Amino acid sequence: MSVENKPLPIIEVVNLKKRFGRIQALKGISFSIGKGEIVGFLGPNGAGKSTTLRILSGLIPADSGEAKVCGVDLAQEEGLVRNHIGYLPENNPLPEDLRVIEYLRFRALLKGLEGSRLKERIKVVLDICDLERKISERKIGNLSKGYRQRVGIADSLLAEPRLVILDEPTIGLDPHQSAVTRKMMERLRGEVSFLLSSHILSEVEACCDRMIILSHGQIVAEGTLHDLQKRFVNKTTFQIVASSNKIDIQKKIRLIDQTCELLQDDPVEVSGKRRYNFSTDKGEHIAEKIVRTLLEENDIRISEFQIRRPDLETIFLRATKKNWEEHDFLNRTKI
Amino acid sequence: MKSYYIILRYELFSLFISPSTYVAAFYFLSLLALGFRFFIETFSNTDWLLPPLSSLIVGLLFGAPALIPFITMRCFAEERRLGTLETLFSAPVSNWILVIGKWSGCFVFFIIISALALCFPLLLLLMFPEQGGNLGFNEIENWTGSTLYLLIFGGTFTAIGVFSSSITKNQMVAGMLTFTLLTAYLSIMVFSFGNQTSDAYFTNYQKLTDGLFGTYINGLDKFGQFSVGLIDLSTILNQAALTIFFLILSTIQIERLNN
Repeated sequence: MSVENKPLPIIEVVNLKKRFGRIQALKGISFSIGKGEIVGFLGPNGAGKSTTLRILSGLIPADSGEAKVCGVDLAQEEGLVRNHIGYLPENNPLPEDLRVIEYLRFRALLKGLEGSRLKERIKVVLDICDLERKISERKIGNLSKGYRQRVGIADSLLAEPRLVILDEPTIGLDPHQSAVTRKMMERLRGEVSFLLSSHILSEVEACCDRMIILSHGQIVAEGTLHDLQKRFVNKTTFQIVASSNKIDIQKKIRLIDQTCELLQDDPVEVSGKRRYNFSTDKGEHIAEKIVRTLLEENDIRISEFQIRRPDLETIFLRATKKNWEEHDFLNRTKI
Repeated sequence: MKSYYIILRYELFSLFISPSTYVAAFYFLSLLALGFRFFIETFSNTDWLLPPLSSLIVGLLFGAPALIPFITMRCFAEERRLGTLETLFSAPVSNWILVIGKWSGCFVFFIIISALALCFPLLLLLMFPEQGGNLGFNEIENWTGSTLYLLIFGGTFTAIGVFSSSITKNQMVAGMLTFTLLTAYLSIMVFSFGNQTSDAYFTNYQKLTDGLFGTYINGLDKFGQFSVGLIDLSTILNQAALTIFFLILSTIQIERLNN
């Protein structure tokens, strides 16, 4: 695709800053999100995730920097952006006295839908969010947390937004309810861009194309899971389940790779066999070579081998650790 | 403009599905009906100079501190408590429209309650046309002036209620604040009642300031004119300005919350 034909990003943020009193919540962050992308926004509490999402939703203004959402410059037309996006705030506040259908009708009217389109969109979002007719007739105050969350997501999808911003959409949900949210995003993948913040890293790992990790108002890592794995975890970790003892295995492995280390002193015993975790600086091919060599040995019996790729939790902890060490709990930079 | 009607309808709908407003309206109308009946029965023995219809308007006005808090206390305080104000902010609606829409919803509800109260003399006129006529219930100018007076003060009172509701998350605090502010406002008007100096002693400047700001504290003095159908434009403008003032304060407060 030529540069001229490249579609405009849905979100384009350059050097965005925001201060609340003495606390600098955002220290000049820059990123962009393309059409149809699902991007996870990660970070410890107080990292500035919700502030960024609120700025991008047109709820609060930034102090400086540039932010364009769906082509709308937030500095100039902050209110206009609300026509293009769906937003699910943190904790998903909903009026408890209204029935689901009444609430969705009210929200659809506010978002400018009317007549047959209104009815059709309500029907579509109820279907996408798996809210059957019986549920839609119930009062929101009587719904479980999972159903309330679905109502919030249904609301954010009502006006066919190009971008949906979800602030902690799966917090407090059971695995089944979380799966419904994931399924909904999968269904809309490619059509709608999603920017979601979450503390549930497995959730983000499972459904996001890309991740942005924020810490103390700064972006500390950005990219696909594969990119982040390469950047933050240099060592290859692998697991061997064998019936042989620690000394024998270690001796054989050291002959192939001097840098290879056993990660724990006492291996875990699993039904008479021992589980060993090793790490090497020399990459996956050395790990494979090690296991091939061990399989050829007569005195070592290997029943399981697995290369363990670092999960998002490991990456998250490593990405935020350095930044965390540089700041105290009041977000002040340590000298 | 469309968003305004949607917010108005939503606010009105929220009031209609809230049991507390029904309870408040029932007690308010019952007490008002009893008071009105007592007044009509004893009217000939009183030295009340204004048309009997005005007694009902005075009842509605002085009963407002008990009624208005129930109508307005929810509008922003409840939204703030539940956090739904943020959801409203995320919709393409300006803060000013949000405040005006919510105030209009509360005001329409106040008008409905007032209309029900005004049914008392109408029923009396329908059932006993002769006695009703003797009491002046068939005189259109009495109705026009009194109703207009009630509407302009009702508008201000609901705006004060909406403002109180915008500054706290607690409905009870909002209700108590509305009650206090309305009682204070009515008390000032009662204490200033009859203190108005005759126009003959006024300088031109005093006449101008009285015309522009006089009814803020002398509103009850102007009621005499309204109750017989004499419309005082300065009173209407004064109350409209006061209503807009409180609505602007509410909007500023809502904008402050948003940031």
